[in-house]
Amino acid sequence: MKEVITSLLMLGGAAFAFLAAVGILRLPDLFSRMQAATKCSAFGVTCVMLAVSVHFAELGIVTRAIMTIIFVFLTAPVAAHMIGRAAYFIGVPLWEHTVTDELKGRYDMRTHALNASDHPPSPNATIKP
Amino acid sequence: MFISNILLALTWAAISGEFTLHNVLLGFIVGLGILLMAQRVTGRSRYFTKVRQVIGFIGFYLWELIIANLRVAYEVMTPGYRIRPGVIAIPLDASTDMEIAMLANLITLTPGTLSLDVSTDRQVLYIHALYVDDIEAVRRNIKEGMERRVLEVLR
Amino acid sequence: MMFSTFESLAGGIALALLSSALFVAFFRLARGPSLPDRVVALDLISTISVAIIAVYTIITDTPVLLDVAIVLALIAFLGTVAFARYLEKGVS
Repeated sequence: MKEVITSLLMLGGAAFAFLAAVGILRLPDLFSRMQAATKCSAFGVTCVMLAVSVHFAELGIVTRAIMTIIFVFLTAPVAAHMIGRAAYFIGVPLWEHTVTDELKGRYDMRTHALNASDHPPSPNATIKP
Repeated sequence: MFISNILLALTWAAISGEFTLHNVLLGFIVGLGILLMAQRVTGRSRYFTKVRQVIGFIGFYLWELIIANLRVAYEVMTPGYRIRPGVIAIPLDASTDMEIAMLANLITLTPGTLSLDVSTDRQVLYIHALYVDDIEAVRRNIKEGMERRVLEVLR
Repeated sequence: MMFSTFESLAGGIALALLSSALFVAFFRLARGPSLPDRVVALDLISTISVAIIAVYTIITDTPVLLDVAIVLALIAFLGTVAFARYLEKGVS
């Protein structure tokens, strides 16, 4: 039973990592590629690490596996955010069929500040004192 | 409340003499049950609603993650593009750093959305979405699905 | 006994899948076209390596290797962040 669960998790994780790689090759622009790379690879590593903890089932190893999962979940979005921001800033083109781009022209190229002052604030935003 | 729960779990493990992961987890659950029953003596606590919210939140998060992966998988495996990507501005209700960071992480890990940047005055979050059929619908989904839950858990 | 071979069979298939994933991601790394594309591919390659190490840990029953996976995940994140900063701010 344990072996079956381990095998399934391992195969699932590998399949999702493979999908991430195919996605990164197939999708049309950088931002779509990043969507595939971030989500699928995080999920793949999670599955494989769960397989590790099911296989060994010892406190020390399970702790390490769970730490790795938490770490990947915390860092993958941060890395994606930083690359996405840098890519947008240096002008990597969006796909030509992109529907809308509300970020266009909002960066101050010298100070790297992002100006959103003319955007309507959230209707129920709390005003900070 | 959380500390006493951990203490109860450790006590359970120490007394039953088996310091394994299963046993500590079991002790945690038993401790939760004991605290729940002791509520009549200690008075009502926000801890239990918090625990329920956190468990619901984790379930929701995992569910969204699986959906996200299957959707991207479907998109990748089938020929031709069905995606309609776009960059969308989301006005934020979340105000502290922690709330914004949690929300941005969550958005990145859910179906078809990826957070790109927060404006310098921290009022607007810009996201890249894969399936933009209706800009307002995407915006409403994020605000009412993600942000409400994140704020519910953190506040 | 039969199940232990079953598990190693699954491990072999997983390793094959992961290696082909490495190959495909490497294709994107070589092709570009822009620098951020390459950074994303590199990030994906390091994540796949973490998965490979974990699968290898299971197959060979050596949990010590898990530490390598953790350190690799840490360093890959640092590398990606450094790349992103370099892209945005330039060399200065």
